[in-house]
Amino acid sequence: MIEDEPCAEIRRRLAYAPEKVFTAFAKAELVTRWLTPSPEIKVTVLQFDFREGGSYRFAYQVPESATVIVAGSYSVIRPPSKIVFSWVIEPPDEHAGIQSEVTVTITPEGSGSALVIRHQKFGRADAIERHAAGWRGATEQLTELLEQEGQHGR
Amino acid sequence: MSSRTNARGQQQPIRQTNPRDPSGNISKHLKVLEDAGIVERKVEGRVHQFKLRRKALEQVGRWIARHQAFWEGAVNQLDRLLAEGASDDRG
Repeated sequence: MIEDEPCAEIRRRLAYAPEKVFTAFAKAELVTRWLTPSPEIKVTVLQFDFREGGSYRFAYQVPESATVIVAGSYSVIRPPSKIVFSWVIEPPDEHAGIQSEVTVTITPEGSGSALVIRHQKFGRADAIERHAAGWRGATEQLTELLEQEGQHGR
Repeated sequence: MSSRTNARGQQQPIRQTNPRDPSGNISKHLKVLEDAGIVERKVEGRVHQFKLRRKALEQVGRWIARHQAFWEGAVNQLDRLLAEGASDDRG
């Protein structure tokens, strides 16, 4: 699919009605219980305004690593079938600042639902490189600073 | 994929009016890759040379792999949460 922007895509059949699947995206207390790649990575909802134009901000606590913060806003909310939101990782992160968009489509299938999550990256590939280079610089500075601090502390 | 032409023209360069690409599909695809920052174009007269920007491609690959893994994991968790009947109580 050379015409397409780079994207990640997941398709999954779920044994639950679209309304139930939709609700899992729509309520902060539910989001904290699943919207993370693994149970080891805890997600905290810092901001959650689930309406068109509303913003969200999630913090991911990766064990023995830096917390990753993801933020964005909802551009389309069509219960119970469609949600579109922007997705930008905050610095410092390898992929910080890269604009991307998540489209969630939930359609009835038998007694359950078909869930499609399409996550599309925008911008040129070298934009990532530029970002990475910028933050590598910043990270090095921070490391240096912390090392100095560490020495003082000894 | 870098299709460099040496002084003797021993390598076949990719031209915009390439007889091997009468439909223009190759040109079109190269344009997409160029716009995406994955290949770099150098124009010399009628000859267009393309160079793969390997690092950029690897970066895109890492972004996709990371987000693919994120959503695969998340959907597993979602399935588990729904199985617990978590969103039944919304009324």
